[in-house]
Amino acid sequence: MTMRTRRSLSIFAGTIALLTAAAACSSDDPASPTGESGATGGDLTVAGPIPIENLDPHGAASLDGGTQLAARAIFSQLVVSTGPGEFEGELAESWEPNADTTEWTFTLREGVEYSDGTAVTAADVVASFERVLAGEGPLAGNFGGYTVAAPDESTVVFTSPTPDAAFLGKISSFFVTPQGAAEEGFFQDPIGSGPFVVESFEPGASLQLAPNPGYWDGEPTLDTLEFQSIPEVAARMTALQTGEVDVTWSMPDDQIAALKSDSDLTVENVPSPGVITMWMNSSTPALQDPAVRRALWQAVDFESIIGSLYPETGSPADSVISPAVLGYAPQEPVPYDPEAAKAALDAAGFDYENTVIRWQFSQANFRNLVDAVVSDLAEIGVTVEPLEKEQAVFLEDLLALNWDMNLQQLGTQGFDAATNLGRLYTCAANRTGYCNEQLDQILAEAGSTSDTALREELYAQATEIIWNDAVGMYPMFVEQPYAWRTSVEGFEPVPDGLPYFDEVAVSGD
Amino acid sequence: MTYFIVKRLAIGLLTIWGVVTAVFIVVRLAPGDQATVALGPDASAAEVAALRHTLGLDQPLLVQYLSYLGDVVRLDFGDSYRFGRPAMDQVLERFPATAELTLAATVIAIVAGLILGVIAGKKPGSGLDRAVSTVTLGMQALPPFWVGIMFILIFALQLQVLPSAGGGSLANLVLPAVTLAIPFTALVARMTRSGVAETMSEAFVQTARSKGLTETQVLTGHVVKNSLIPVVTVVGLQVGTLLGGAVIIETVFAWPGLGSLLVSAVGNRDYAVVQAATVLIALCVIVLNLAADIINAKLDPRIRLEARR
Amino acid sequence: MTQSDILLTEAPGPVAPPARRRRRRPLAAIPYVIIGLYVLAATIGPLLIDYDPVATEVTERLLPPGSATESGTAWLGTDAVGRDVLAQVVYGARTSFIIGIAVVTACGLIGVVLGALAGYSGGLPDAAVSRTIDVLMAFPGILLAIVIAGLLERGMHVVIIALSVGGWVGFARLSRSITMSTRERDWVDAARIMGVSKAATLKRHIVPFLTGSVVALATIELASAVLSEAALSFLGLGLPPHIVSWGQAIAGGREHLATAWWITVFPGIALTVLVVCIGLVGDRLTRRFTRKRD
Repeated sequence: MTMRTRRSLSIFAGTIALLTAAAACSSDDPASPTGESGATGGDLTVAGPIPIENLDPHGAASLDGGTQLAARAIFSQLVVSTGPGEFEGELAESWEPNADTTEWTFTLREGVEYSDGTAVTAADVVASFERVLAGEGPLAGNFGGYTVAAPDESTVVFTSPTPDAAFLGKISSFFVTPQGAAEEGFFQDPIGSGPFVVESFEPGASLQLAPNPGYWDGEPTLDTLEFQSIPEVAARMTALQTGEVDVTWSMPDDQIAALKSDSDLTVENVPSPGVITMWMNSSTPALQDPAVRRALWQAVDFESIIGSLYPETGSPADSVISPAVLGYAPQEPVPYDPEAAKAALDAAGFDYENTVIRWQFSQANFRNLVDAVVSDLAEIGVTVEPLEKEQAVFLEDLLALNWDMNLQQLGTQGFDAATNLGRLYTCAANRTGYCNEQLDQILAEAGSTSDTALREELYAQATEIIWNDAVGMYPMFVEQPYAWRTSVEGFEPVPDGLPYFDEVAVSGD
Repeated sequence: MTYFIVKRLAIGLLTIWGVVTAVFIVVRLAPGDQATVALGPDASAAEVAALRHTLGLDQPLLVQYLSYLGDVVRLDFGDSYRFGRPAMDQVLERFPATAELTLAATVIAIVAGLILGVIAGKKPGSGLDRAVSTVTLGMQALPPFWVGIMFILIFALQLQVLPSAGGGSLANLVLPAVTLAIPFTALVARMTRSGVAETMSEAFVQTARSKGLTETQVLTGHVVKNSLIPVVTVVGLQVGTLLGGAVIIETVFAWPGLGSLLVSAVGNRDYAVVQAATVLIALCVIVLNLAADIINAKLDPRIRLEARR
Repeated sequence: MTQSDILLTEAPGPVAPPARRRRRRPLAAIPYVIIGLYVLAATIGPLLIDYDPVATEVTERLLPPGSATESGTAWLGTDAVGRDVLAQVVYGARTSFIIGIAVVTACGLIGVVLGALAGYSGGLPDAAVSRTIDVLMAFPGILLAIVIAGLLERGMHVVIIALSVGGWVGFARLSRSITMSTRERDWVDAARIMGVSKAATLKRHIVPFLTGSVVALATIELASAVLSEAALSFLGLGLPPHIVSWGQAIAGGREHLATAWWITVFPGIALTVLVVCIGLVGDRLTRRFTRKRD
């Protein structure tokens, strides 16, 4: 497909050949593979929404979407989460917690090798985990106080000072690398045990992969796999429609309709753990009263907003965490009722005149949503000042509680409520200005038992408190949209937007 | 000449020091640092503080500045936390793509600009002159990102003759280079026009005409050569502006260059990359300005280099 | 810096027969008329068209031009949250003028003062100003803009500051070079010998010589400030959502270019026409003043 485009360009190309010759040394030509056949696996070009800047799954970028995406192709996890509370072993064949979930023992799969032929050992797992802890990156934050040991070649034991029932969910973001990963330059040309091996890598621009013939679960069918970074939405959509790119995801709703009408494309949404979350800072005097927070929530016509702005990927939420997550419990929806909202605010003595609610967000794609919500609140006389901040500023202010309202799409790592509710809503975390000892107790108990049914029950109780006290508005569950060309076979959309490609093939077109 | 070059190099070094210092201050003035961004929204304040300590970001600014300055002198720009490799490596890897893009845009702009400028300047005040003036103003008045996206929709989506995004092949270069060249072409055309208009009236052109040279010979042999000087100066001075424009063009067309790297590095507070990229850009601007002055001296012996600041 | 180079290197005006030049050209008035219309729209437009940038109507989003809405007819369509595009064009004119004029005033004042001082005094002040200019010219302006946007809360003042930080350089370079050449003139020497103070000499003998070129440069910088606001919006560093501007509208509508072209095209036309007209006026001024100076 790309071939056709390139050929018709030869005339243009000639005219500027001269000037490019000077800079020819620049980008190593991706030696475009010429096998345009349908017989074998074919060549797949993928452009996700986030660039791949770093292949090191242990360090500062460990939880970055781009790094995680690449790591899933190059390295192997111990376990893969397949749904709420469900896991499949990858490097690990089996695993078991002790009674109070402070100790997790993993038995490794026999005979798994890195692409250079050496065996994956328990010592590698230990070294990788210790590297994560030493790096103090975002992933390390999940494993405070943890230690790891390898009693024998194929057994790894993780030990936590406090009970940690959600360990499996957290460890599913952890990738095992050879011990050489600590050496400088390893990730320029890394060796892993995943389905693909790195051919070339231009950080932030493109990553070229080839199948790993020794992959334990069978060599992938693709001939080549390329990840490209295309930040501008219009360019990415065009590239998909012209066939320069075969797979993309996280398209804005307004683009999905156009893609759906293209018969060369398949568009599919899967439920994701994402929830549009609008925390209201309970430590702001004006928002201290739960009745006020609930009233504000009630004053926004989320049903029309979602129906108009997110007809494809949004659905009204009925909980703090999504149904795709362990611990989900549906709540009574908050109906749109501006009169009741106004009355409740009046009753609570809300100061319309002198209150300006500072609402921070950092992603430009939230602008329409923010505008619409601000408009509805203005209808009942509440003034909200939207503050679009640069990511770094947003994060700094977020932790400092320097906001009255905050907008994020919150996911739940490992599909376990522990990483969302358990981490964000405790008094100690102090993330929302909200503090409730009863909630703290419930969350602590839920985090320290391995009894799944009991955990689900406890998280349901926690959700009810958070929902009824309106720690935030939780208006919308987000679906993860994917689009791929019909020539792509075997592509499996995944909820977290980090798909795998080892079972994908491209038929000739 | 040698004295001039030495003096300019000394000023250049001073400028680099200024840039090095300015960029250090500027990136640290901005709220949020790499500890905040690296740990993301799920981190606790204690985790951020711990990482900040590990990275040495809690040291007094002066201490940080001196150690940074010492490293820069040894051409060590530190490691990028984001890319997990030496910052200068990452910057140099992206540099050729930006050089290619700006070079292509410059060539397009000079060729097209000279042609337009000569057409307009040949008969100053004529309808053609005014038409070219208005068109070139229009070219400077279009927001480049808008033009870029329109190009993608027209040439990649509708006509399907050019690829929409990415780097690596010549076909990929066409749209971004043309988009970047548009305002620059207008500038060159306007400079050329006034140069040509001036030269056309000068004595040596009359002489050349009276010697029986054709109008084309007069134009190419005398007029254009004399109008080149301001054009060369501007090309040298425009490098900085071009790189600024490249930031936007590279984002629109997913062109893997320095501009998009710089913007994302600032966003990520990747100090090492910001500093390395800024110093490299400054170096380019300084060297190219010097080159422009030397070329001008060669073009016109009347220009005494020493006379310029 | 771009524009000052034209003025610095611009030759005397076109050498056409004087008779022809004096002939009245009715077409020449067009840019002034158009700019006048814009000023009119910017000042009284908001009084005639009622528009609240905070009020959105999501059920009436992305309507094509001429569609009927609850509040009347959207002659130029509606945007992604159902706001009227025509009103945005009119209100955006005001924003653009405010930003353009503020930026040019700030840059002009700083640039002329520093440039004239440097050019007239020479020595240390000159070196300081010149080196600062060198650094700013070698510094990616976008970086400054990003940092300023981060340091301060989003608002119109941030855009104005971000565009002014690097913008004064052009004025400074122009003023410096004109001052340096004017300083050598006889009457300035005479004033100096007669013991007229430096400030008075600058004010009485140098500044009048600067006015023409500076005004010419100002028109061009005005156009480029209007354009730069759009570029900042594209990078997500522009105005906050509740301030209406053309740049916002164009940048915000870029995802809808293929389906709802009117969101970007109408503000885009408004912006382009204004920039071209200001440019035409600027051209004319440039020609007039470069001629006078030589």
